Amino acid sequence: MALRPVVVTGLGIICAAGRDPAEFWRRLTTGQGGLTPIEDEAFAVFTARHAGQVPDEWIDEQLPGSDTGHDRTARLALVAARQAIEQAGLTDGGPDPERFGIILGKCQATPDAAGRYQPMHRTGDVVAGRLGLRGPRILVSTACAAGGNAVGLAKDKILTGEADAVLAGGVDPLLFGTYAGFAGLQALSTGPCRPYSHSDGLNLGEGAAFLLLEPLDLALARGATPLAEVAGYGLSADAYHATAPDPTGRGGAGAMRRALADAGLTPGDVHYVSGHGTGTPANDAMEAKVMRVVFGDRAGQVPTSSIKSFLGHTLGAAGAVEAVASVLALRHGTAPPTIGFDDDAVTDAVTNTGLDFVPNRARTLPIDTVVSNNYAFGGNNVSLVLTRPRGPREHEELPRRDAVITGLGPVTGVGAGIAEVTEAVAEGRQEPGRPPSLEGRTYAPRSLWRHMNHLSRMAIAASRLAWEDAGLKLPRKALDDVGLVFATGAGSAESTSGFDESIALNPNKPAVLSFSNVVLNATGGAVCQTLGLRGPTTTICNGGASASIALDCALEMIRAGKAEVVMVVAADETAAPQSAAEAFVPYGAGSAGPVPGSAAVAFVVESAEHCAERGGRPYARVAGTAHASGEGAGPVRRSLALIGAGTPGLVIGAGTGLPEDGDEAAAVLGAAPGTLLTSSAALTGDCQAATGAMNIALGALAVRERIAPALTGLTTPLAGELASYVTKPDLSGPVGRALVLTAASGSVRGAVLLEAV
Amino acid sequence: MASVLASTHPEDTAYGHVGDATVPLRFSSLSDEYGVLRERAAVLDLSGHRLIEITGSGAVDFAQRLLARDVEYLTSDRCMMSLVLDESGQIVDQVLAFGRDDGILLESSCGAGTRLLEHLLARKEEDVEITDRSGDLTILGLEGPYAWGVVGRLIDGELASLPFESVVDTTWDGVDIVFARTGLTGEYGYQMIVPIESAAGLWSQSLKHAQPAGLEALELAMLEVRQPIPRHEATPGASVIEIGANWLVDITKDEFVGRDAVVEAFESGGGRRTVGFTGCTGVPVPGTRVQAGGQDIGEVVYAVHSVGLGATLGLARVDGELAAAGLDLAVGGLPVTTLTSPYIVPKSWSIPII
Repeated sequence: MALRPVVVTGLGIICAAGRDPAEFWRRLTTGQGGLTPIEDEAFAVFTARHAGQVPDEWIDEQLPGSDTGHDRTARLALVAARQAIEQAGLTDGGPDPERFGIILGKCQATPDAAGRYQPMHRTGDVVAGRLGLRGPRILVSTACAAGGNAVGLAKDKILTGEADAVLAGGVDPLLFGTYAGFAGLQALSTGPCRPYSHSDGLNLGEGAAFLLLEPLDLALARGATPLAEVAGYGLSADAYHATAPDPTGRGGAGAMRRALADAGLTPGDVHYVSGHGTGTPANDAMEAKVMRVVFGDRAGQVPTSSIKSFLGHTLGAAGAVEAVASVLALRHGTAPPTIGFDDDAVTDAVTNTGLDFVPNRARTLPIDTVVSNNYAFGGNNVSLVLTRPRGPREHEELPRRDAVITGLGPVTGVGAGIAEVTEAVAEGRQEPGRPPSLEGRTYAPRSLWRHMNHLSRMAIAASRLAWEDAGLKLPRKALDDVGLVFATGAGSAESTSGFDESIALNPNKPAVLSFSNVVLNATGGAVCQTLGLRGPTTTICNGGASASIALDCALEMIRAGKAEVVMVVAADETAAPQSAAEAFVPYGAGSAGPVPGSAAVAFVVESAEHCAERGGRPYARVAGTAHASGEGAGPVRRSLALIGAGTPGLVIGAGTGLPEDGDEAAAVLGAAPGTLLTSSAALTGDCQAATGAMNIALGALAVRERIAPALTGLTTPLAGELASYVTKPDLSGPVGRALVLTAASGSVRGAVLLEAV
Repeated sequence: MASVLASTHPEDTAYGHVGDATVPLRFSSLSDEYGVLRERAAVLDLSGHRLIEITGSGAVDFAQRLLARDVEYLTSDRCMMSLVLDESGQIVDQVLAFGRDDGILLESSCGAGTRLLEHLLARKEEDVEITDRSGDLTILGLEGPYAWGVVGRLIDGELASLPFESVVDTTWDGVDIVFARTGLTGEYGYQMIVPIESAAGLWSQSLKHAQPAGLEALELAMLEVRQPIPRHEATPGASVIEIGANWLVDITKDEFVGRDAVVEAFESGGGRRTVGFTGCTGVPVPGTRVQAGGQDIGEVVYAVHSVGLGATLGLARVDGELAAAGLDLAVGGLPVTTLTSPYIVPKSWSIPII
C-alpha cells in the first residue's frame, strides 16, 4: 500500500518572468523571456551583463507595509509565500501554527537590510515570523538544487506526521559577489542564455517560489483544490568534483531513478521533464546523457525544456521556481518551451541525441507525470516527481524502523577521534576555542587534500574517523547507497573571506577556488567525493540546531528505505579563534559569554537491522527527536516534550555560556527533576552546528561508556543546584537514556533522545 | 610469456620479446596502425602487462610503502599510475594501480612483470598476500579519438564518458570485467581486465568496431605525448628527476621505498634533464652524443621515426640548463631542434564524447 498522498494546494512565485503564478505562466507559454542587461553600473566591469532581474515595484506592490522593512531576500520570499498561502485558502487561518512548517532552500549567504551577512536561516525565520508558522523549520542549502530539495523534505515532514502543512520553496537575490564568481569561472553567457543549443553559458537570476504542501486527506477535508501530487523525490551525490557535474550523468540519473522509485513509477510513466538547463556546456551535455541513461530509446519521446531560458538561474530558488512551472504544466497540459533555441547551433555534445527540447514554442500535450531535475555545485542532485492529483485513497503510515548510532568522529580542540576525546573527557581536559589539529595523518588522497579548505579537511577527518569507529567495510556497490547529511551554520569562513577579499580587490579576478567552496554544501560534497558516497545527500543550515535536524533527515532516509547507512557530519569554524575567558562556563552565573570555536563532528546512523546483520556495536538507539521553532521560552518547553516518556539520566544541553542558558537549565531541571545536566561547549567552545553534533556524539558515548563531560568550572549555576550538573566525568551508574539538546537562538531548538541498546 | 591471444592473432603477426613477454609488435604496418590509433580507434593486446594482486590486512599499507604515489585512499572505483622504486631511487617499474575492495591490483608495464613481482615479494610482509593473476586475467585496451564509440557499441555507452582514471566493475557478454578509463597516448583510452578464457571473444568482438594496433604504434604514440615508457627511458643510474617522471612520485608522502633518493635528487637540483628533439635524418641509436656549440651536453635516450611528425622524434638527456624547447643542438653531428611536449596534438582533444 502507498504512503499518505501529499499534494500542492498553493503556488507563489516572483522572478524575472513574472510577479505571480498567472503572469509567470502566461509569459512561459507565450515565449516572453525576462532576461535583460543589468543597468546597475557596478556590474559594468563584467563583459557578460544579462540577468533575470525582478523590478522593485513588483515586490513593493505586493507586500503589506509591515513587511517592507526587511532585506530584499526576505521580501522576495514573503511575496511568494503570501501568494501560496492565499491560493491555498489559508489566509484566514489554517492548521495549528505548531504543525505548519516552512522549508526554505537558499544558496547564498545573503545580506541584511544594512548589507551585513546574516545567519543562513534568518530568511526562513523572518517569513515564519511574519506568517506565524511555528512548525518544522529547515533551511536547506544544496546550492542550485536547494529549492527542489526543500519540496522533498517538506513531503517527509508530512509523512512523519510532524506537520499538517508546509511552505516549501526557495529564494535567492542577485548578488554582485556571486555574479563575479560565475564570471570568474567563465560560466556566464554574454547574451540571453540559450540552453541545449548554443550552451555558451548561463545568466544569473533572482526570485522566490513557494509551494504549499499538505496531505491530500486534510486538503480535501477543508475543501482545498489539489493542484498536483508530490509523488516522490530523489537525492544523490556525484562524489566527483566541486563544481563540474559527473560527465557520465550517473549522479543525475541516480536522483531521477530514486525519485521514480519513491513515486512507485517507471521512466515509461514520464510525460515531460523540466530540465536544469543552465546553458553551460558541461551541464547541458551531462543532462543529455542523463536523459539517455534513464529513458534509453524513449529519450527522444520525452519532451524536456529549460525555463532558465526565460529567467536565468535563480540558484537556491531555481528548483522551487521549476517545481511551480511543473505544477502549472500538469494543470494546463502544456510543456513550456526552451526559448532562444537555435537548431543550427546545437552543440556537438547534444548533437544526434534526438532529444526533444521543446524549442521556442510551448506545446500542448497530455501530461500526467512531470520530473523536475536540478544539479548543483558540490555534486548534489535532486529530482522531483509531480503527478496530476488523484482522489482520496487508502494509505499506510511511514514505517517505523529502529536506527542506531554506530560510529563517532569528533575533530575538536581536545582531540581527533573518539578515543582522544574520551580521554580528554575522562581527564576533565577542556580547550574551548582551541582549533583542532589535523597533524600526523592525512584523511584523503593528498591530491585532493592539498586543495581543500580547513572546514572540508575537518569534516573529512571527522567522517573518516566516524566511519572507522563504526567498523564499516562496505563494497563499492553499497557505497552508492550510503547517505550523507552535512550540517553547518555558516560554511567555510576561510573561503568566504578569501573570496570576498578577492572581489574587493578586483571583481574580475575572483578567487575561483574559494568561490567553489563558498556554497554551503561544498564541504558535504567534498566528504562524498573523498569517501566515495553516492547515496542521498543534503545540507542543513540552521545554526546550532543543524545537527539534530540533519539527524532527522538521516532517520527519514532510513525510515523510507532510501538508505541503510547515513553519515551525519557537522562542521563550523570561527574566523577569529580566541582562548577562553576565565569566567567562561555554560550554565554558570557570571559567565563571560560563549567562546567561539572550530570543530567538525560526524556520527554514523544506521538501521538497527543493518547494524545487527554486520555485527556492529552500536553506541545508542535513537529513541526520538523533536524540534520546536519560534522565539522566547515556548520552543524550549516544547522541545522537551520527549521527556514525557520518562526522565533521562543525563541531559547534554545546548548551553554555551549565554544568559539564556539559565532558561534552558530551569526548563530541563523542571521537566526532569533528578537528571544531570551538562554541555559540550565547556570542552570545545561554541562551534555552532558542530556543537550540536558534539552533544549528540557525547550523548551516545555516555549511554554506552558511562562518561560525560564535566562542567568543572561551575560553582554557581544560573538555575538549580550544583548537584544537578555533571561536575565529574565518571557517571555513578548506567545511563539508560540521555537527552541531547541543540539550539539556534531565536529560531529552532532540537532534542534527541538516545537509549541504551 | 606468450600473449594469451597468440592463437587468435593472424599468423603473420610480428612478435617481439619485451622483457619477460612476447607481444605483438605489428599486425599490419606501423603507419597503418598508427593511423588507426590517431584517427579512429585501435584495440590493443596488453597481455604483456602483468597483473599482480596485493591483498591481506596490510595490503594498503604495503602498497603505500612500495608505490611512489599516494594510494592510501585509492577507492575501488579509481586507478592511478605510479612509479615503483628501489631503495636507491631507481625505477623498478611504472604501474597502473587499481583500488579494489580487498586490496590493490597492480598492472605492470609491458614485459616488466617478473621484475616487479620479485621486487614486491622481496619486501613482502606477513599481513600481505601477493598473487600473480596473469594465469587467469589479461588486459585489452582501446585507444583512439573514437574509442568512446567502440565502448558504447561493445559494452555500455554510459561508460565511455567515465572521468579519467575511473574504474567500474561491469560485465561483457555475461562475464565480469573491470573497466577503466585510462589513456596512454593523449587519445581517449580504456582498459578492460578480463578472464583469460573470455579474452579471445572480447578481442574478436572488439575487432568488429576497431582495428588492432601493436606495441610499435602504441609506443610511438606514447612518445609523441611524452607518456613515459620505462623500458626505454629508465636508464641505469638516472634519477626520477632526470627521467622527467616527477609527476609519478609524491614526496609529500612521509615514506615510500626510494623516497630518500628522490628527495636528495630534488634538493641537489643537479644532474641532467630529458627533452624531446626532432630534425636529424635517420634514427640515432641510444647513447648517441648530443652537442651544443660543439660542447658535449648529453646523449640520446632513444629515438624513432614519428609518423605523426613525418620526421625523427627522440628524447635526449642533457645538462639541465639546456633542457628547454626551441634550442638548436646537434645529435651525432646532425642538427636537431628541441621540442616542447606534446609533440603532436591528439585529435581526441577536439572531439567530444557524445
